[in-house]
Amino acid sequence: MAKGKTVRTWRRTVLIMALLVVGGFGAVIFTLAKLQLIEGPKLQQLATDQQLKDTTLTAKRGTIYDCNMKELAKSATVWDVILEPAYITDQDRDLIATGLSQILGIPKDDIIKRSQKKSYYEIIQSKVEEDVRDKVLKFKTDNKITSGIRLEEDYKRYYPYGKFAATVLGFTGTDSQGLAGVEAEYDSQLTGTPGRLVTAQNAVGTDMNFQYEQEVAAKDGDSLVLTIDEVVQHYVEKYLAEGLANNNVKNRGCAIAMNVKTGAILGMAVKGDFDPNSPFTIADSAKAAEIAKITDPSQKSQATQQALQEQWRNKCISDVYYPGSVFKMVTGSAAMEEKLVTETTPFNCPGYLQIGDRKINDWKTFGHLTFAEGICNSSNVVFMQVGQMLGPQLLYKYFDAFGFADKTGIDLPGESRSIYITANNMTPVDLACISFGQTNSITPIQMITAACAVANGGYLVQPHIVSKIIDSSGNIVKTASTAAKHQVISKDTSERMCKILQQDATTGTAKSGYIAGYRICGKTGTSEKQGQAKGEYIASYCGFAPEEDPQIAMLVFYDEPHGPNGYYGSPVAGPTFLAAMSQILPYIGVEPQYNSDELAKLDGKAPDVTGKSLDDAKNAVAKANLSVKVYGEGKTVVSQVPAPGKSIPQKGTVVLFTDSGSASQTVTVPNLVNLSLSEANKKAAEAGVNISITGAALTSSNAFSSLQDIAPDTKVAPGTVVTVTFSEKNQVL
Amino acid sequence: MTNESAAERRAPGWSADRAKEQHPGKKRKKFRVFSARAGMDLPFFFLVMTLLVIGLVMLFSASYASAEYTQGDSYYFIKRQLGFAVLGVAAMIALSFFDYHHFHKFAFPILLISIALLGIVLVLPAPSGVHRWIVLGPLGQFQPSEVAKLAVILMFAHLISLNFSKMDTVKSGILPYLLILLPVCALLFKEPHVSATIIVLLLGGIMLFIGGVKLRWFVGAFGAIGAVMVYLVAFSKKLNYTGGRIEGWLDPFSTWQTRQSLYAIGSGGLLGVGIGQSRQKYLWLPEPENDFVFSVVCEELGFIGALIVIALFVMLVWRGVSISLRAKDKFGMLLGVGLVLQVGLQALLNIAVVTNTIPNTGISLPFFSYGGTSLVILLAEMGIVLSISRTSSAEKT
Repeated sequence: MAKGKTVRTWRRTVLIMALLVVGGFGAVIFTLAKLQLIEGPKLQQLATDQQLKDTTLTAKRGTIYDCNMKELAKSATVWDVILEPAYITDQDRDLIATGLSQILGIPKDDIIKRSQKKSYYEIIQSKVEEDVRDKVLKFKTDNKITSGIRLEEDYKRYYPYGKFAATVLGFTGTDSQGLAGVEAEYDSQLTGTPGRLVTAQNAVGTDMNFQYEQEVAAKDGDSLVLTIDEVVQHYVEKYLAEGLANNNVKNRGCAIAMNVKTGAILGMAVKGDFDPNSPFTIADSAKAAEIAKITDPSQKSQATQQALQEQWRNKCISDVYYPGSVFKMVTGSAAMEEKLVTETTPFNCPGYLQIGDRKINDWKTFGHLTFAEGICNSSNVVFMQVGQMLGPQLLYKYFDAFGFADKTGIDLPGESRSIYITANNMTPVDLACISFGQTNSITPIQMITAACAVANGGYLVQPHIVSKIIDSSGNIVKTASTAAKHQVISKDTSERMCKILQQDATTGTAKSGYIAGYRICGKTGTSEKQGQAKGEYIASYCGFAPEEDPQIAMLVFYDEPHGPNGYYGSPVAGPTFLAAMSQILPYIGVEPQYNSDELAKLDGKAPDVTGKSLDDAKNAVAKANLSVKVYGEGKTVVSQVPAPGKSIPQKGTVVLFTDSGSASQTVTVPNLVNLSLSEANKKAAEAGVNISITGAALTSSNAFSSLQDIAPDTKVAPGTVVTVTFSEKNQVL
Repeated sequence: MTNESAAERRAPGWSADRAKEQHPGKKRKKFRVFSARAGMDLPFFFLVMTLLVIGLVMLFSASYASAEYTQGDSYYFIKRQLGFAVLGVAAMIALSFFDYHHFHKFAFPILLISIALLGIVLVLPAPSGVHRWIVLGPLGQFQPSEVAKLAVILMFAHLISLNFSKMDTVKSGILPYLLILLPVCALLFKEPHVSATIIVLLLGGIMLFIGGVKLRWFVGAFGAIGAVMVYLVAFSKKLNYTGGRIEGWLDPFSTWQTRQSLYAIGSGGLLGVGIGQSRQKYLWLPEPENDFVFSVVCEELGFIGALIVIALFVMLVWRGVSISLRAKDKFGMLLGVGLVLQVGLQALLNIAVVTNTIPNTGISLPFFSYGGTSLVILLAEMGIVLSISRTSSAEKT
């Protein structure tokens, strides 16, 4: 019995052990296998998700330089203030909210609300400057706050010159992504590659302090060197803005200055633009006020959007327009290249041309005139006939060859396609109208690129705005190609067309762009808009210089001018071309070469008579062929206007002051605009100021003043030189 | 029967009963403190030492992050545990020479002390809301429940061996044991220390089962336990008694510790992330040095490593039971089986908890989990098994 009981004990023990091993450990091994071998990858992923803290390391966006390495757009370090609600204790909450509310100017309640969110990451304010960051840090140390507030480095885009070159540069959005201009076009290069810092974190969110850290360093963005020259850009913008105001332009204006040989854009401006530092502000205050008055929210936002889109739009490449008479340089070059005409080919202009049942008028009845005279007088009838000589096939061939059928491919976003009629679809009326620049719509950038081909010996160049891409250590990543795409016309044709255009800019319809000392080649254009804006005009001027070796071309374009100068290309756009080019040409190293006519009319330099006796001074002034006016009772000259060596017009007046009391005298600048040359001279003399003449007045007797550099009613010293620009008031297409 | 009764009356006169049953006719031995008639069982000794070394290494790996964060010293836990391990191994070797039959005399006093300690701990202040530890100043904390487990095994072995032939009666087979289990379990439950309660109940039940209590009692007990468990699972939400443990079990990802444990185990895959490389131990796992040390084992050593550890526990149980079954007497057999099964059971329950095979209760993993009292007592218990092995007829290698 006892033996049996012992055996039973053995049996029961073995049973228990078997249960424990097979049932118990078997079950846990089964569970382990399931967890580790089958669900392992999934669980591992979940574990990794919670263990790894992935911090993005922002890459610094590249800088945008002008061609002289002046910084036009750059990124600077700023900080994001981040709240970590998960680590904010209830006793700290009020303190943190009060502190941050004072530093950042955010309502305290908002901060409290956000600090109660179930989250580890709440951006409470982004992109704060260094001073704010320092305040936050000080607040943290002063109050011994170790968790809950964090500062994260970020970058902010600055455009140090405000509106300067805004259209070209574009702007960036809140995440530093390029939204317009080269910022958008080269966004990926500028952005660089953000890095990652993967750290293992423990359950309280701090880094595991033992190991595991993997850093993929951020690769800073590449920088751009633009072809834009800050100085050229400055003049282009300055005079474009001036012309825009003088001509009461309704629909903005634009101008492009381009190296004719390389296609490098030296200046590109749209006025009615924006400040890239605050691109979402409507820059036009009148428009902003108008929108502010709208009460309906949806209409308001629609109007705002429209205004923003408009101010961001790069007219130079996004607008299509009828080039008008400027296009005649293309038609003319084609006909000369095909040897259908020469400078002296005779034409007859009875004032109109009958094409089928359409009678198309010229702006004047010219009678007999040569081909060259046809260009200089911008005769539509001549060009309709030239068009007929070319025929649809050849006209279209050159239209295409000059680059009008394709986008130019300039490295800016938003280039529009031209709208044109192909050879096979061209009616005789189309043919006639295309020849003088109507019917086919093109972009300004296409027009100036074609003008460059006319100027540079016939080569179609690639317009471009970025000359070099350099990486963050200064190595050149990419250099823009300046190779021409193809040759459109021969060198001979190009040179002959340049001569005709120079004639045009000297004595023809384009003489409002004439600059003494420079052989300017130019062509004006006035085109009537079609469709909704019928009755509105576009005034443009396209020219290049110097004729013997063209360097730079410039196109000026005003959309819907309504000013006192009318709407024709010559008086509206010509003065802007003149003003800008007369500054740009000497800057880019083109020295003036005056002929004798020009020298005669050229401004001289005021002789130095200060300190001399009055009589000696009078003699010296008379010797310089200038007249004199004396203020004061003294015997010696204490000061003079213009100052010694300063520019003074031919036959101008030097004002001499003989005592200190007289030196403080002032005169009032009269209104010198809209006058003939003699009227302006007379008015200036009466007022006691000198007048310096630029523009068409130097070559034409039929010129009227259109601009003065010192505003009427300004008080100035007697004898001060006021520069007055003249242009011809002829009705020129 | 009369002889047996006489032997019983002479308790703790162990040898008469044993001698009569297994070596009838042999003369009663002389009293001696140390019994080293034979060498101890080396396989068992090495299994214990292997588990202890692996356990210490894994404890160090699992604990250094939490030691750094909570104690400011990454070596805090391992330093203390090493000290206790040395103490425990010394106790184990000493006890292996100690004649285990003397425990007949100690069984009742130890039970009384244990109950007293369980009473004391209840009246001591409990900072964390549970009355489990008696703080002993620089020595750390002392956990009376560890003593209670040993006391119950010892007392049961003692009583069953004396009443072996009457175990199928209610008076000798059921009542005394219920009288022991009731106060012990009630006090443990009061702490509250559910896992210790469960282990004590299970061990008590197993010893009674082995001791020869009629099967119908177990059928009844299993029925009752089953009914209670079904009730708890079905109504756990309403009762709010199990503190969300049942819901946590049914939906493991809803509770932090179970989720973290499963992440750790899953991350290990087949081969593990490498020793020392666990990431879950960085405060993700609650008390990686304690109940969840096995999760770190799984993460660092993978499925293979976990299997090896489980295999070592199975071998330990196997060898321990073999030794015990060959013990020269009932007391040695019952005591050995009880002690070895306690280790096996705790290991099983701990692994089952961390793998979410069963609902979460705080059970530590023998040889691995941090805890001075339990390690010293555990090694001492292994010493008793080794002492039994010296008298056992198991093959010595």
